[in-house]
Amino acid sequence: MSKILEVKDLHFHYGEIHALKGISLDVEEGEVVTLIGANGAGKTTTLRALSGLLGRITSGEVWFMGERIDNQKSHVIAAKGLAQCLEGRHVFGNLTVRENLEMGAYLRKDAAAVKKDFDYVFDLFPRLLEREQQRAGTLSGGEQQMLAVGRALMQSPKILMMDEPSLGLAPLVIQDIFSTIKRINADGMPILLIEQNSNAALKVANRGYVIENGEIVLKDSAASLLTNEDVKKAYLGGQ
Amino acid sequence: MLLTLVIGALMLGGIYGLVGMGYGLIYKASGLMTLAQGDMLMIGAFLGLTFYKTLGLPFLVSLLLVMVIMFALGMFIERVLVTSLLAKGAQTVYVILCTIAISMLLQNGAMFAWGSNVMQFPSIFGVSSVNILGYEIMPERLLALGVGIVAMLALHFFMQKSKFGTSMRAAAQDELAASALGINVPLTKGAAWGIASMLAGSIGVVVGPIFGVYTAMGSLIGQKAFASAVVGGYGNMYGAIVGGIFFGFVETFVSAYVTSLYKDFISFAILIIVMIFMPTGLFKEQVME
Repeated sequence: MSKILEVKDLHFHYGEIHALKGISLDVEEGEVVTLIGANGAGKTTTLRALSGLLGRITSGEVWFMGERIDNQKSHVIAAKGLAQCLEGRHVFGNLTVRENLEMGAYLRKDAAAVKKDFDYVFDLFPRLLEREQQRAGTLSGGEQQMLAVGRALMQSPKILMMDEPSLGLAPLVIQDIFSTIKRINADGMPILLIEQNSNAALKVANRGYVIENGEIVLKDSAASLLTNEDVKKAYLGGQ
Repeated sequence: MLLTLVIGALMLGGIYGLVGMGYGLIYKASGLMTLAQGDMLMIGAFLGLTFYKTLGLPFLVSLLLVMVIMFALGMFIERVLVTSLLAKGAQTVYVILCTIAISMLLQNGAMFAWGSNVMQFPSIFGVSSVNILGYEIMPERLLALGVGIVAMLALHFFMQKSKFGTSMRAAAQDELAASALGINVPLTKGAAWGIASMLAGSIGVVVGPIFGVYTAMGSLIGQKAFASAVVGGYGNMYGAIVGGIFFGFVETFVSAYVTSLYKDFISFAILIIVMIFMPTGLFKEQVME
């Protein structure tokens, strides 16, 4: 298997604060990889740094599909096929559902393939089709999360990075989101998933990394992490 | 008489409204404020005069050239001047100050290039008046009204229906999400400044024949356009049109029936009253923080 995304010794500072202290991780074709850790450990910072949303990184390398992409502009990185569903959904509330999805396909010129992806997204989330002309701000939290995922899929990415997709949603909706993640992955999409809901994340993932204070402290297969005593105690509610 | 007044009011309202839309567009897209819109109008008028009168180009060609140049000028101001200020961590108030400085530079620059006299913009149509329902109306006024309406509709469809316009709305609402989707957010901001300046400049070309062209012509129009934008709900493009038409009517009818000497006193007194009783303007507008 070849590596889609490889991060080598990534350091990042927020002003004086050393937020990421040498993150190394990789995602291979077809995989779901999860990054788990406490609030403030650096999960979101990692993803945003990879997408180029935080400006220049301090040091380290990010390789995507065999090309070095660190310190490129965010819209250039997105164009290469690195998509991210931001934490807190970030749908464009004043735009319609349809327009939100169109913005996902903003950089694409292949009209026929875009149309196919519209069909794919509406097949994945029939609710979005029902609400196509509605303003995104009027959707429920779960529907907004569906829209955020659908919008990222409209980019036709080579990898999908998801930041806390289950945050603030009802348990039943969370189940839906995780089965959607499984389905998207089964359709061939590599996924890098960040979750506070470590249990659920490890259950859909192939491999996992544990991040603490801006450092990776543990990496293993998801199955082993689920049974690891330290991980259980710190992140899985001690069961 | 009444029809003439109404057309005059609509024309004036369209002018204020269009220039005011520029304020709203810039505020919405970049969260910033410019005070140079009026002088953009003035530069547009001088450029139009140069192309049309001095170089003898057809009117439509002159207008299009002015639009292109004014777009580039607005984009330059945002991309080069405003961005370098923001990159240094300047606060909003410095950006506003920068636009005041630009306004002064434009006025004095125009005096250097074109002199300080009021210049007459030659008549665009062969006739001095057209007859509508028995009223004699200056055709340039109808042109200003027509250009205003076309520009509003064009901007509306551009913002609502085109992909780039939609991306500008998206970026104005959520910069982070727009960047993550591959939208070039700096470009959308620059384009907003460019469009605002293009609107003002093209209005300058069509009001030139009505008011004459001089270096200070933009300042009062700019202030009234700003007032229109505030009354309509700052950041709401359509509100600016309504605000503009409101001011157009107040000014025209106060001049006609009350006093033309103190029309600005009354207009701006109304502005203060509106601000006190409706602090969010006629149309409540949520703007990006």
